[in-house]
Amino acid sequence: MEKTKTMQQNLSNSAKTDMQLKICGMKYQDNIKQVAALKPDYLGFIFYEKSPRHFDGVMPQLPEGIKKTGVFVNENLNTVIETVNKFKLQAVQLHGEESAFYCNMLNTSKQLNEPVEVIKVFSVKDGFNFEVLKQYENVCDYFLFDTKGKLPGGNGYTFDWSLLNNYPSTKPYFLSGGIGLDQVDDIKKFKESKAAKYCYALDVNSKFEIAPGLKNIAILKEFQNKLSDKTMQENYNVDDKGYYGNFGGAYIPEMLYPNVEELRQNYLKVMAEPEFKKEFDKLLKDYVGRPSPLYFAKRLSEKYNTKIYLKREDLNHTGAHKINNTIGQILMAQRLGKKRIIAETGAGQHGVATATVCALMGLECIVYMGEIDIARQAPNVARMKMLGATVIPAKSGSRTLKDATNEAIRDWINNPVDTHYIIGSAIGPHPYPDMVTRFQSVISEEIKWQLKEHEGRENPDYVVACIGGGSNAAGTYYHFLHEPNVNIIAVEAAGLGVNSGESAATSVLGKEGIIHGCKTLLMQTNDGQITEPYSISAGLDYPGVGPMHAHLAKTGRAEFMSITDDEAMKSGLELCELEGIIPAIESSHALAIFKQKQFKPNDVVVMSLSGRGDKDLNNYIEYFKI
Amino acid sequence: MNRINQKLQENKKLLSIYFTAGYPSLNDTVSIIQDLEKNGVDMIEIGLPFSDPLADGPTIQDSSTQALKNGMTTEVLFNQLKDIRKTVNIPLIIMGYFNPMLQYGVEAFCKKCKEIGIDGLIIPDLPVDVYHEEYQATFEKYGLINVFLITPQTSDERIRFIDSVSNGFIYMVSSASTTGAKSGFGNEQAAYFERINSLNLKNPQIVGFGISNNSTFKAATKYAKGAIIGSAFVKHITANNAQNIDAFVNSILK
Ligand SMILES: Cc1ncc(COP(=O)(O)O)c(C=O)c1O
Repeated sequence: MEKTKTMQQNLSNSAKTDMQLKICGMKYQDNIKQVAALKPDYLGFIFYEKSPRHFDGVMPQLPEGIKKTGVFVNENLNTVIETVNKFKLQAVQLHGEESAFYCNMLNTSKQLNEPVEVIKVFSVKDGFNFEVLKQYENVCDYFLFDTKGKLPGGNGYTFDWSLLNNYPSTKPYFLSGGIGLDQVDDIKKFKESKAAKYCYALDVNSKFEIAPGLKNIAILKEFQNKLSDKTMQENYNVDDKGYYGNFGGAYIPEMLYPNVEELRQNYLKVMAEPEFKKEFDKLLKDYVGRPSPLYFAKRLSEKYNTKIYLKREDLNHTGAHKINNTIGQILMAQRLGKKRIIAETGAGQHGVATATVCALMGLECIVYMGEIDIARQAPNVARMKMLGATVIPAKSGSRTLKDATNEAIRDWINNPVDTHYIIGSAIGPHPYPDMVTRFQSVISEEIKWQLKEHEGRENPDYVVACIGGGSNAAGTYYHFLHEPNVNIIAVEAAGLGVNSGESAATSVLGKEGIIHGCKTLLMQTNDGQITEPYSISAGLDYPGVGPMHAHLAKTGRAEFMSITDDEAMKSGLELCELEGIIPAIESSHALAIFKQKQFKPNDVVVMSLSGRGDKDLNNYIEYFKI
Repeated sequence: MNRINQKLQENKKLLSIYFTAGYPSLNDTVSIIQDLEKNGVDMIEIGLPFSDPLADGPTIQDSSTQALKNGMTTEVLFNQLKDIRKTVNIPLIIMGYFNPMLQYGVEAFCKKCKEIGIDGLIIPDLPVDVYHEEYQATFEKYGLINVFLITPQTSDERIRFIDSVSNGFIYMVSSASTTGAKSGFGNEQAAYFERINSLNLKNPQIVGFGISNNSTFKAATKYAKGAIIGSAFVKHITANNAQNIDAFVNSILK
């Protein structure tokens, strides 16, 4: 039978890591299905009666692309072939003293219904004589190196991988034996070494078990995430064409081109000017009140048995992170000689932050706000007016944030010379997402040195932020994007539930498309009409997400979680009671993840507390009937 | 030869009319096209409605919102137009935003346009550089002419680039504005028109935005090959429930 060899192309096929993953020792039907959902490349079933992981159950239907691998120890060849045919195995792993002749018989057997990949195992301890591999070169597809122990496999400790520096062959091999979460750093180092050149896959088993044969899904997931090598290879910043991977760009009408192009050509230059930096830093310090504290939330940490730090953006002037960006952009507008400032706002936070800096600089300020939001957010409308801004109702479409944004863009089209548009989140055409991210990156810049003071290290284990368009999140992640040991969690608003039809969980519900001048994930009909999201929090109520976050979602760099209205409200109240802090409802979404995800006691979790809850009092009052 | 190129060779100033498909009523599309041709309009831009039309003023926004409410979709429009070439001969252009086309599939969209007999597209939020790099080959494969906008703020250099990528006409936006915003042509426009004339572009220009009556049509076509009327016509069909199209066209061409 002609064997169709697919493994060479597999070398680069794996989505999660550049090495393939084999999860071995599967036993229980439901657990098999759960593990299969993690899309490993190989699933191993042990057909060896003496093993505590001996497979004697029913094989569930597995998704395509996962190779079912039978593990045998000195088994009768005919039994192997029958088992392969019975369970439709795609690979056979020979874990005993099978000879090269035996391998060849299997490899070329005409009794096989379908060809199988043959993996020959060799056990390694203090040394290994690579000479023995020679006779197997032409009779099997892969080698597998395992730790020599009492049992064939599943012994739970690793061998000295540096032995593989002497690997004389070019045959791709599996690395096995005692690999667990604790080995992630070693694996990463190993990958950099010469020994790893032909390492094709990792084989894991006993370190991911609740009991023999019963795999721990959460830990497997964490392993996949941590290994995801993209952290080191992928660029999460904008590229020189204005894209984050496939997302971003500037899909704008020609009428806007000169404005956006002027900004694109100047923003980095201006931001690099020492005078600009000086003025920006000084205003952040004296006017905004930065650095904002990094506060160790002791009682909250105790409750969730992990170490939680809150980055107190709520203590900024005007009560949220939004002002970091408006300070930066107003200075930019001045440098570009603009006399008139426009902005969009949903809840009014960004509108207030823009009106504030316009008052500070004595510039005309026009804020577009959906007619419906004007009615919902009366106090912020009053604030903007007191600060001297003109608030213009957006009466088109659904009369909320997305329409306010449309109106601001139309204003800019009609006033192409003297006007600067201060976008309030990490959205819009390039260079806006990058510019806003850079202004907000002061958040993670501070976290680094503040955490060093608290914990003696700059990098937390997790950074967490809520995502509307994604500006506080982008600022919180920025200096950690390329730190492989920092996990990123993005929290979206699920509204009444992700599948309720009343939600703003863009990473789940969105499809690739174009909104407000950028290609990103957005909520839309099949026909490409942009739909209206829903969340109790006006700041998260946006149908798209910034292009950086679309890229983080697509590459798996960030873990996205969705939090409902109810979960957020309860966690908001919890923070009041445990820490004496009333958070914005947006920020409450981030806080709610502790009810969904268990962190380890020593994990350091830094969370952006993006805003204070004053603006949301009415919502809290109504919700809790206070 | 593409009908647009043929039309542009005629020795006359061209009148092009924009309307939103599916408005005022879902099934008005075909009869509006037929009436426009019957009354001497040279070219038609069929607006594929979008939920968030950034470059449009209130008139076209409102007609788009209503058309979507009426049930207009890309599929419905293609169905309405499937036999259009049995009765209509003038060039037909679809004008719409890029996202609905992206969701339909750009190639599938182009293919369908060719099948129906659509001659060109105007996609205000598909920038010329992205078009050139990613989509030009597909559009040309299906014989479609893509039309780009220029404005008084567009630099000479960029206009030359747009001219080099274009193979029909250039849509000359009369002033920095969304559709329907301004009326009348002053010295500023005259200077702009002169500047464009002096560039000796290979593609003729058709002026749009702010043309609403006989005098603005004449002023615009003094320099350009033709002019496009959008919002004023949409207002007319709103007031006349898609009837009396002859009266509107006559008032422009009188
Ligand atoms: C307190 C607060 N947090 C978060 C957000 C969400 O915006 P972004 O995702 O840009 O940080 C808002 C928006 O209004 C806000 O006011």
